[in-house]
Amino acid sequence: MLEMRAITKRFPGVLANDRVDFDLRAGEVHTLLGENGAGKSTLMKILYGLYQPDEGEILLNGSPVEIHSPTDAIDLNVGMIHQHFMMVESLTVAENVALGLPSNRGFRTDLDAVSERITELGTRYGLKIDPSATVWQLSVGQKQRVEIIKALFRDANLLILDEPTAVLTPQEVDQLFKTLRQMTEDGRGLIFISHKLHEVLALSDRITVLRQGRITGQVPVEGATRESLARMMVGREVKLAPDKPAVEPGRPRLRIESLTVLGDRGDEAVRSLNLEVRAGEILSIAGVSGNGQREMAETIGGLRQPTSGAIFIDDTDVAGKTPAEIRAAGLSYVPEGRMKNGCIGAFTVSENLLLVDHQKAPYVKWGLFDFGVIKEHSAQLVKQYAVKTPTLDTTARSLSGGNIQKLILAREISGTPKVLVASQPTRGVDIGAAEYIHKRLVEQRTEDTAILVISEDLDEVFALADRIAVIYEGQIMGMVDPATTSREEIGLMMAGVHPETTSDRP
Amino acid sequence: MSDFFTTAILVATAASGVRLAVPLLFASLGETFGQRSGVLNLGVDGIMLLGAFGGYYAVLQTGSVWLGLLIGIVVGMLLGLVSALISVTLRAEQGISGIGIYLFGLGMSDLLFQKLVGTPLPITKFPKLNFPVLSDIPVIGELLFQHSVVVYLAFLAVPVSMYIINKTTFGMNIRAVGENPEAADSLGVSVNRIRYATVIIGGTLAGVAGAALAIDLGIFQQNLTNAQGFIAIALVYFGAWRPVGVMLGSLLYGFVNAIVLQLKTLAIIPPDLSDFAAMAPAIITILALVVVARRFKAPAALTKPYSRGE
Amino acid sequence: MKKNRLTWLIVVLALVLVAAACSDDSGTTTTAGDSDTTTTAGDTPTTTTAGDAETTTTAASAEPFKIAIVAPSAQNDLAFTQSIVDAVNVIKDEMGNVEVQITDNTFIVEDAASAIRAYAVDGVDLVIAHGSQYGGSLQEIAPDFPDTAFAWGTAADTFGLSNVFAYEAASDEGGYVMGAMAAALSESNTIGIVGPVEVGDAKLYVDGFKAGAEAQNPDANVLVNYTGSFSDVALASEAAQAFAANGADVMTGTAQMVVGAVTVASDVNIIWFGTQANQTSLAPDIVVASQVYHWEVVLRDIIAKIEAGTPGGEQFKIDLANGGEVIEYNDAFALPADVKQLGEDTIAGIIDGSIKTGS
Ligand SMILES: Nc1ncnc2c1ncn2[C@@H]1O[C@H](COP(=O)(O)OP(=O)(O)O)[C@@H](O)[C@H]1O
Ligand SMILES: [Mg+2]
Repeated sequence: MLEMRAITKRFPGVLANDRVDFDLRAGEVHTLLGENGAGKSTLMKILYGLYQPDEGEILLNGSPVEIHSPTDAIDLNVGMIHQHFMMVESLTVAENVALGLPSNRGFRTDLDAVSERITELGTRYGLKIDPSATVWQLSVGQKQRVEIIKALFRDANLLILDEPTAVLTPQEVDQLFKTLRQMTEDGRGLIFISHKLHEVLALSDRITVLRQGRITGQVPVEGATRESLARMMVGREVKLAPDKPAVEPGRPRLRIESLTVLGDRGDEAVRSLNLEVRAGEILSIAGVSGNGQREMAETIGGLRQPTSGAIFIDDTDVAGKTPAEIRAAGLSYVPEGRMKNGCIGAFTVSENLLLVDHQKAPYVKWGLFDFGVIKEHSAQLVKQYAVKTPTLDTTARSLSGGNIQKLILAREISGTPKVLVASQPTRGVDIGAAEYIHKRLVEQRTEDTAILVISEDLDEVFALADRIAVIYEGQIMGMVDPATTSREEIGLMMAGVHPETTSDRP
Repeated sequence: MSDFFTTAILVATAASGVRLAVPLLFASLGETFGQRSGVLNLGVDGIMLLGAFGGYYAVLQTGSVWLGLLIGIVVGMLLGLVSALISVTLRAEQGISGIGIYLFGLGMSDLLFQKLVGTPLPITKFPKLNFPVLSDIPVIGELLFQHSVVVYLAFLAVPVSMYIINKTTFGMNIRAVGENPEAADSLGVSVNRIRYATVIIGGTLAGVAGAALAIDLGIFQQNLTNAQGFIAIALVYFGAWRPVGVMLGSLLYGFVNAIVLQLKTLAIIPPDLSDFAAMAPAIITILALVVVARRFKAPAALTKPYSRGE
Repeated sequence: MKKNRLTWLIVVLALVLVAAACSDDSGTTTTAGDSDTTTTAGDTPTTTTAGDAETTTTAASAEPFKIAIVAPSAQNDLAFTQSIVDAVNVIKDEMGNVEVQITDNTFIVEDAASAIRAYAVDGVDLVIAHGSQYGGSLQEIAPDFPDTAFAWGTAADTFGLSNVFAYEAASDEGGYVMGAMAAALSESNTIGIVGPVEVGDAKLYVDGFKAGAEAQNPDANVLVNYTGSFSDVALASEAAQAFAANGADVMTGTAQMVVGAVTVASDVNIIWFGTQANQTSLAPDIVVASQVYHWEVVLRDIIAKIEAGTPGGEQFKIDLANGGEVIEYNDAFALPADVKQLGEDTIAGIIDGSIKTGS
């Protein structure tokens, strides 16, 4: 039904799409796969009329079309669900759906008729929603449903979904996929964009891989593997799961005892939480964001005060201490917001590498920085951690996300910490860099470090963890062995279902 | 103080407050439309001044107050169009470009006045409506049924604005464009078209406000509005971007002004305090603004020009 | 798209040019041969020169006497600024070879200061800073130009500078005369006075008017309302309505915003006394009389001093006695003969000192 031929789009300094061919048949899911910045969204925005291509043509049902605006796209029954929700938070669901459509009452709105159809579509596609709810009150999953309803309401035959699963729980993803399959059964064609490989494999009929604006492969889903897709995305062999030499875990080095922490809104974000991480193991915390994992990590790092409980690093209770005291006790901390808490954007690479140790020998001699030593040390770390930076004096903020993360990791690991806490270590990081970060974290186990990894990405959790703790509403729902547990079981626990009630394992 | 609490004085003061509120109400209702769609037009006062001069001059020449009002509308529309051109199409910094419009209106209105009129000459004012029976009811009659026709037009504009903003597709588009223009655009709502429409509505009502002021006073003078356009903008915030709120704000400002004026007249406020008292309306309005408006959020896209990011 | 943008740009550019052309900066001077042609714009001060070179019969080689006026409101405001402009025009007609330049609407003191300095630099013989708020600027500028004469009004202080004259009006005198007539005309015994802020010329006038009314009729109820603004016409209008609601049947007011009050008075047939300029044209039916300033009386003295080599250091005052203040009656108003006689008697009394205006 769709054919895009030799689409080229340039932005100042970037060739976002380079002679890209892409097609879609009715009733199929064709996935567009690629790393951040590969040009996926650009190609789709061209199809939706938000951008104009510099070269190339678009054919719909065999005839060439010019799509100058979303209105044109909607008229051609093309719908798009954007990477970021495109909704007016202060309007109701019905108003959001009706926006831009003529009303059959002339200039007056006909929201009751719209609401009726929303309910109808909802029943048919499993998209339950209250049409009169105001959008800001909805959960992300519900907002996602509204986005799909908006497209269905406009009779979209061709629907573009730009990273629709990025913010969903595994259960919500399953529900979404059911809806999407039903849509393809109706003969609609779907373009699915993602960089989560298992989702791509689960949903797609065909997969096209984009790298740096160019197509690097187009394959049917049959025979495709995560490894083969990753290779096309990155352009070389990638190890998705790092080799994990067996390390015998030792004594507990991080012990959290009945820790209670208040969240930003004064509610109890972490509730009497208990946890132990042993030397030489990676414990992964899995959970849907907003279940207390951020508050817990911040409390360990000293950025947030607990209301009660204890945090032991080896035998020192560090609960409520300052970040400096906690670091002195042996903690290294890779925070969630890498630009907010992880590094100082305006500082150079080498200054950022020195942030933690800046008051110590050998960097400081007689109260003054010893720039020779500092430079040597930074150069070595940059090389060892493969931080891609033009010079040591480049400011951190001009590096890519992956390289900033490597920079922070280099700083945090280089001191051989007793305990390492890493929050979302590879979020927004390209596969190559993620692979490297995973490798480093795994290696760190042999240094007797107790490692706590907090991640919303189940792939990452499975790739790294020796044990998985699932967090739900500020408490640990259960502790499982990744080797013997399925994604689905963990997904259920993340949604608050107790493992005893679902698992028949002893 | 007892002099103040006589029926006649209270009624006269209330009527005075209503009259003072009228230009503010027109202008702030207009500005509400623009701001609801995300455009801050700081040029209101300049548009009011040109509308005031246009209306004044038309009445001076023809003696027809209706023609005067019409000229106010036309002048306001044209300047609204220019404002939209600058802030929507050219995406100029709204805080600055509005001041440009203001200065243009201030200078141009006076220039035209000096060239075409020179010495102030009085003109015919709006007729005061006289409803049979109703106008003769004591107190109520004077309070509600003896005003000039623009007063009724201004207060009629409130429910009309409410209806447009809340019950029509146009109004829904305005709200959407003011909160999330990207989302509206992605659904085929033309952000620029909506914003042009609202800014022109705003300009038109500012023009009406100016013409109403000049024709109600029966005179024109340099800077006739005395910055009422800026007060109108503040009242939009005060009124939390809602027509009723804007109306209450205009009335509050008008009433406080009228009461202060009356208290000064009765020497309840002595002359040596009168300069302080003259600041009361502004201070009270600002205080009310701080208390009331904090609970409401401004349109998320206010002052942000929109482009598709190409 | 690009082309479109360009078109818009041109449109806006054109608009900006129009606006710029309309409002010349105070630094530039436009010279017009005909003294009737005057340009004014509100936002930025405007400068006008009326050279009148052709009508001058004196030798073309003779340098004209150059006078410059810097004033806060419009030169035809029927009030404060117009009074000095009219006076300078009278001087020009008398002396002949005079070049007049005007920068009006300098309600921003900084604009006035730069205009004053620019005129001094240009070699103007007499720079008139017509506004008590310009005193501070003059105090800074005048010492830099010892050869230029400055006149500052309305004020009584020359700062001890030898090249600054001060001039003011005894506006209480005319106020007193008209106040007496107002009390005689009032049937309700209630009189309203609108003022801007309680300072300077306005305060003198208001106090004089009130004293005159109360002297004529000790029971008169004189209502005074300083609105707090020189420019808020709407407030002046409402002040007049408030007077009407309180039963006033005679009103007066000072400063340029009173036009709003005059039209109200005219609507409800309340009689009006004007000041600073003849306000009869605003409301021919109800204006009884206006106190008019003839600054030329003091300007003549000032120019004579300058030509005699004394560029300043003295104070001048216009009043009823020296003819600088004149009560101009509206012939169209049927003023009872006894009231007119009362006015004339009061004037005489003030001039011979038998009546004290109270200040
Ligand atoms: N509006 C824009 N202006 C300039 N560059 C852009 C714009 N949109 C995208 N790009 C650039 O184009 C490239 C592709 O971006 P995008 O299509 O968003 O990638 P993806 O969706 O695959 O992550 C990136 O380098 C990005 O920085
Ligand atoms: Mg994208």
